Amino acid sequence: MSWTPGDDAIHVVRPPAPGAAGGTYRVFAETLRGLKTTFARVAEGVHTIQYPEQKVPVYPRFRGRHRLHKFEDTGLEKCVGCSLCAAACPADCIRVVAAENTPEHRVSAGERYAAVYEINLSRCIFCGYCEVACPFDAITMGNDYEMSDYQRSDLIFTKEMLLAEPVERTPLRAEGE
Amino acid sequence: MPRPEPKTITFTIDGREVQAPENTILVDAAKLGDVEIPVFCYEPKLGAPVGACRMCLVEIEGIPKLQTGCSTPVKDGMVVHTQTDRVREAQAAVVEFLLINHPLDCPVCDKGGECPLQDISFGWGGGRSRFIEPKRHFQKPLELSPLIAIDRERCILCYRCVRFSQEVSEDYQLILHERGAQTFVGTFDGHPYVAPFSGNIIELCPVGALTSRPYRFRARPWDIEGSGSVCGLCPSQCNVTFTVRDDRVLRVLARQNDGVDDGWLCDRGRFAYQAIHVDERITEPLLRDGGTLRPVSWERALDEAASLLKKAGSRVGALAGGGTTNEEGFLLQRLVREVAGSEHLDAAGIDPVDAWTLLDPALQASMQDVEYAHTVLVVGTEPVDDMPILDLRIRKGVRRNRVKLAVATPRPSSLDANAALSLRYAPGGEGAFVAALTAAVYGGDIEAPAAAADASVDEIRALAELLRTGGDGAPGDVVIVWGTSMLAADGGAVAPALLKLASGLNLSGREGGGLLAVPAAANERGLLEAGFAPGMAPGFGETDGEGEAHAVAGIAAALRAGDLTALYLLHDDPLVTRADTHGWDHALEKTTAVIAHSQFLTAGLLEHANVVFPAESYAEKEGTITHPDGRVQRLRPAIGRQGSVRAEWWVLTELAKRLGTDFGVLTGAMASQQLFAAVPFYNGLTLDTIGGKGVRWPADAALAAAYPAAPEARRDAVYAEAAEPNGALRLGTFRSIWVGADVEASPALKFLAPRQMVEMAPSDAQRLGVRHGEKVLVGGDGASVEAIVALRDAALPGSVFLQTGITTNAANVLDGPLVEIRKA
Ligand code: SF4
Ligand code: SF4
Ligand code: SF4
Ligand code: FES
Repeated sequence: MSWTPGDDAIHVVRPPAPGAAGGTYRVFAETLRGLKTTFARVAEGVHTIQYPEQKVPVYPRFRGRHRLHKFEDTGLEKCVGCSLCAAACPADCIRVVAAENTPEHRVSAGERYAAVYEINLSRCIFCGYCEVACPFDAITMGNDYEMSDYQRSDLIFTKEMLLAEPVERTPLRAEGE
Repeated sequence: MPRPEPKTITFTIDGREVQAPENTILVDAAKLGDVEIPVFCYEPKLGAPVGACRMCLVEIEGIPKLQTGCSTPVKDGMVVHTQTDRVREAQAAVVEFLLINHPLDCPVCDKGGECPLQDISFGWGGGRSRFIEPKRHFQKPLELSPLIAIDRERCILCYRCVRFSQEVSEDYQLILHERGAQTFVGTFDGHPYVAPFSGNIIELCPVGALTSRPYRFRARPWDIEGSGSVCGLCPSQCNVTFTVRDDRVLRVLARQNDGVDDGWLCDRGRFAYQAIHVDERITEPLLRDGGTLRPVSWERALDEAASLLKKAGSRVGALAGGGTTNEEGFLLQRLVREVAGSEHLDAAGIDPVDAWTLLDPALQASMQDVEYAHTVLVVGTEPVDDMPILDLRIRKGVRRNRVKLAVATPRPSSLDANAALSLRYAPGGEGAFVAALTAAVYGGDIEAPAAAADASVDEIRALAELLRTGGDGAPGDVVIVWGTSMLAADGGAVAPALLKLASGLNLSGREGGGLLAVPAAANERGLLEAGFAPGMAPGFGETDGEGEAHAVAGIAAALRAGDLTALYLLHDDPLVTRADTHGWDHALEKTTAVIAHSQFLTAGLLEHANVVFPAESYAEKEGTITHPDGRVQRLRPAIGRQGSVRAEWWVLTELAKRLGTDFGVLTGAMASQQLFAAVPFYNGLTLDTIGGKGVRWPADAALAAAYPAAPEARRDAVYAEAAEPNGALRLGTFRSIWVGADVEASPALKFLAPRQMVEMAPSDAQRLGVRHGEKVLVGGDGASVEAIVALRDAALPGSVFLQTGITTNAANVLDGPLVEIRKA
């Protein structure tokens, strides 16, 4: 069946043609107005950040890769291996296997400690729930965001890696910056 | 006592009308109306409530004060409120009070995540404490026993553990010391709490005060999965839930099934799971090569086993151990009968015709009958060793339902203290004793058989009187709990006498009464029913085989004589599990081919096996096993098979295939189907109908009707006389609950591994001049074992008792019936 537009054909309403003066304004003045921004930036100089040589400072509450902490005075691990972070984690990427402290082998302050503490960072969504769940402030979200690697298995961070200081500190944004 | 028949009443709770059986405890009745009343101390399994914690307070119209829901039975027309301000305030106050001395160290507490105290504090607590004073402190954590850790700071003094010890297991060890805020739980003498059922208090404790040491800090509830199955370590076949993390079994919990275990487990069932994950376990096929067993591929092992079987032709014997499932037994009997053409297979070592007559569904008592009978007779078995959970059931019946208990055993029994009557007869006098008892019930000559059993005629008369009249002239249901080891001891006489006794007491076809066999091995009944018995096809049918079918002892003799040249051992090692070690040693020496399935390299396999297939553990198996009361139960795999272990049904099917027969079994479920089709009284069972709770086929009229009529009992049976000591001593043997490769391999249970003790009457000891705790040599001609003297007051003079099955100094080497004792 052939189509007859009939009454419901779309009627295109066009604006009036700009005319000579209006057309000229549009071609030159508006373009110049845009170029003003361009030249202003050129005058400002180069803004590219030369990552990875240069890094953007992050906000102090930026949620980067996790850190596990030790007590400064005793050197004992704060984590007691309670697994609450693993329970809180929506991505199910934390694995804790606890063990018992003995007088000869004391790792944490409580009765138990984490013999295995692993976070699979390829799964982590950096929500920070683990930090909120921890009753001992043993795990916090650090500021490091450089975690790419060549092997998936290298993205499983062990307790030793999480306890260690990051090789390079991520610059922090100063107050009010 | 007859089972209560409750009438239904209607009561109102929180504005809802709810129907419940009359006198149900309010806490339970509330659940029928979807109302939860929080509890700590209430646990119906423990018997009468004590009302210790006050967590369950509710308001009942017409009663001015708040009432404890855990100790108030519902009545018709009762109006209960659980949501009023008064109740809420009381609940918050109780939580606050319980937490006064509670450390709330949940992050390091093993109960965290599955803790009723956490849940109730969260759900019903006020969320705030006004208590700022120091809390009470105890040293922690402490070992209550090598299996249980106690943290007294966390204890909320609910009494559950103490009630268990005092009123359920009746070991009377746990008590509360001191008073008031100083109260703490401990054993009365400060010694470790070591008892066969101690582990149950871990599950009972509503807080983290009592925790399992083997499970300590292993996992959190969100790290684990629960997997329901059945414990395959002893005939009790308790229903369990395996706690699995990362494909390892980390814990075993009870899975309540009132028809089986009543919600309890023994410590062996609770802790021997550790043997699944030890290095000693065989996880690859082994082949003897130049004198030593070496790991080989499955192909090689199967080919080798097949060629050994082919060479042996029909000269094959087969033994199956207790952990064998019905399907495995069924397939192995097909392999031996159909493929090899031999008739020589046995598991139980008892005459299958005896079993056939005694397992008749009309005579069968159930586990629950034990609890509600008027009189229970325990004869020829020690339940705590042979079928531990039955021990708790008997105690429960006596304590709560005033069941009259009679105990008749050669060895002093742990149930003696609960028994209305307990008597002794001489080991070896089983047949004579039952004959004497039957005569006392029926009329006939008692004196001669009683003398042959060295039992007192008066006591036997009193026992008969108790069985006949229930003690108070009201004859009622009688359950006879008997050990199948009696059949092995004097089968010819015991079975007909037991049958006669049962008919004299009108037990046939009686609801609530009957016989309950206590087998010597976990799935003895299932193997008999699946046709793994000499001369008896599946379902007690005829076999096609001709000539004599050898039983255990016959197989050993035939191997020694060279009439059989190959031996198939399915979860068995005759050097460990069977009597007459020397005879078997000799027999295995002569056997050309020994093919075994085993989890561990036990003595006989290490020395003699040619091919060893790694066996599945009970947590890896699928299939069915049959409870002594006829309940077919289903094993479900909780974890993957460890190492390169493969299913036994697969191995047996592969072997048959290599020998030219296709069993047509491609999955475990197909093996079950074949079994259910082959056994008439299993017809129509499916794995689905068996489900999580099992099916008692004797209770199903259609299945019970399919039971083939058993032959007439032999009338000419002559009982054997117990040997006359004449200065020497009669030898009786028993198997402790702690005997088994699983216990030996479990690190947590190692401390319980039994040492050989010789139990004897003080008068004998005095005569021989030996003291309690002294080391002696017990021996007949030739062999002797070293043992420590243990004096038992209730022992029958003239008899001594030694353990079988232990690793060193087992009594299996002695042939009796008389032994002498020398100082070591
Ligand atoms: S940040 Fe979120 S996703 Fe990542 S480990 Fe913590 S809880 Fe899991
Ligand atoms: S018993 Fe329960 S409430 Fe108490 S510390 Fe343990 S987990 Fe927490
Ligand atoms: S130890 Fe546990 S079960 Fe025993 S009284 Fe204390 S809280 Fe109750
Ligand atoms: S549950 Fe009722 S008083 Fe404890």
